[in-house]
Amino acid sequence: MTELAIQGPQEDRQISLVQDAFARLAANKLAVLGMILVAVLFIIAAFGPWLTPYDFLDQDLMARNQPPSWNHWFGTDDLGRDILSRVIYGARTAVVVAFSTVFFSLIIGLFIGSIGGYFGGKVDAFVVWLIDITMSVPSLLVVIVINVSLKPSMVNWMDAKFMETGNEFYRNTIWVDFILVFGSMALIKWPKAARIIRGQIMSVRNKNYVLAAEALGVSTPNIIRRYVIPNSIGPVIVYISAALGEAMVLESSFSFLGVGVRPPIPSWGNMISDGLRVWQLYPHVLAAPAAALAVVTIAFSFLGDGLNDALNPRQWK
Amino acid sequence: MRRYILSRLIRWIPSVFVLLLTIYALVFFGAGDPIKLIFLQAPGDVAYDPARVEAIREAAGLNRPFLVQFGDYLANVVQGDFGNSLVSGRSVNSMIQAALPVTLQIGLSAICIVSLLGIALGVIAGLNQNKLLDNVIVGFAMIIWGIPVFVSGPLIIVVLVLGFNQDVPYGWDGLFSPLVLVPLLVLGLNPMALIIRQARAGVLEVLSEDYVRTARAKGIPNLQVVLRHIMRPVLTPVVSQIGLLVIATLNNSILIEKVFGLPGLGRLTETAIKSSDYPVILAIVLIFSVVVMTSNLLVDISYPLLDPRAAAKRTENEE
Repeated sequence: MTELAIQGPQEDRQISLVQDAFARLAANKLAVLGMILVAVLFIIAAFGPWLTPYDFLDQDLMARNQPPSWNHWFGTDDLGRDILSRVIYGARTAVVVAFSTVFFSLIIGLFIGSIGGYFGGKVDAFVVWLIDITMSVPSLLVVIVINVSLKPSMVNWMDAKFMETGNEFYRNTIWVDFILVFGSMALIKWPKAARIIRGQIMSVRNKNYVLAAEALGVSTPNIIRRYVIPNSIGPVIVYISAALGEAMVLESSFSFLGVGVRPPIPSWGNMISDGLRVWQLYPHVLAAPAAALAVVTIAFSFLGDGLNDALNPRQWK
Repeated sequence: MRRYILSRLIRWIPSVFVLLLTIYALVFFGAGDPIKLIFLQAPGDVAYDPARVEAIREAAGLNRPFLVQFGDYLANVVQGDFGNSLVSGRSVNSMIQAALPVTLQIGLSAICIVSLLGIALGVIAGLNQNKLLDNVIVGFAMIIWGIPVFVSGPLIIVVLVLGFNQDVPYGWDGLFSPLVLVPLLVLGLNPMALIIRQARAGVLEVLSEDYVRTARAKGIPNLQVVLRHIMRPVLTPVVSQIGLLVIATLNNSILIEKVFGLPGLGRLTETAIKSSDYPVILAIVLIFSVVVMTSNLLVDISYPLLDPRAAAKRTENEE
């Protein structure tokens, strides 16, 4: 009996980091709303092909520019394509691009940030300088320049490869769009990740509990797993949430400008830009993708703020 | 103080240089041959003749090594010459001279609006922490920050036209014409959350300081406490956001000038992208980057004026 009584609270403490954060998150109504919306977005993106009533490319020229109805919940566009289906596929585009961008910028950031944080001194000064330069670049423009300048040569290379090998894989240049989009975005977005990771490494490394664990002879993987990661993961999770939202906005911004993911692959950005041409006559063509994008970005910013409060309680003082 | 400014300047110059080199290399190696591009963009009757291309390339000095050409371009840029447009053949300088003032006027006015309104709202929110007013201000700012300008801009037009039977605010007629009002509001309100968040956090931090309590205890009127003792330390974190603010405003102006028909740098960028007009794109990237880096430099320089302790700490950290 006594053993049980002692074990109980200990077990509680083991999961208290996650539990504690989750309780605080659940208390924040806006964050919960954001979380639900983000979950819905992921589900829609994951199961898109099974959810869409029509194919996103199906053109029904007899039913062009129809207002919302039971057959077409969000109406149809100027080619008679079902807008609901296109919005759902746009969610897939947004989620794929956002996750790849955040994944690659985390990898670059982890690499550069930990080099700076670990070596310190001149290496660190260089890393900080690199972060500063990249951060002071007008991000949208540079992403555009990378896309516009590299695209023709990549497409040419794919064409040449196709001629050479006859491999069908090289024929589909949509992948070039996607790779260029998240590649260039990761090249612009890594500094924030690098800065956070560098800061976390520097602050946790010299904490007394890490030094104490070292002195007690705890092995390095164990130190990293038990002490370094739990104490530094908070800001990284907040970063991921914020960066996913930002990446979606950035992606749709430049497909709005006609760079990046190009028609006929639906992206909310190029759908908004299509809708802008006809909104006087058919406002629903503009409204659906615009509302989707607005709801998603607001959901991410609510979730991000909630996570920030829940995971970084020390900021409260 | 002078040493501080000098050290900032010394960091600024290589940053601009590295940026220029990167972007030039990207276009040089990525986009390929400018002569070919000119041919591809010429009207259909111009035949693509390799011998002629070679001759033009020779004459234009485009078969020289990359670094030589970059040096040449750099020398021209330093003298303020960005070359000629691939599409229209006009000098890039004249195109930029026509467009830059529009973007600068609107952008600067927008930044002023955000800063003033944002500080005021942020301080009010901080003074009313967790009350209704605070929640309304912060929620409002977050929602506006969440909606991209190329969504909110068109939506406002739709509401104005369909809801209020107003004319579409379209075109440019000087900074003081009513046409500018809507784009200015969209540009100015969107990044306000950046400022409000910092100002609010700054106020919360300062409120518990001894000198604020002392001032209150001495019976100084509340307004004066706010203006004298609370506002000044709040300015430092707010000023540190100006770099981000400038980037956000430039990005937004690229997106929104198309919507409101403003003949600024944003629209120039858009047309240049559509026609792969590299000299123009290069020039705009450069100008935007220099604007951002210069504003960062100004922020750095203004730190010691606002808070000598912060500057001392910054120099210390680097050494």
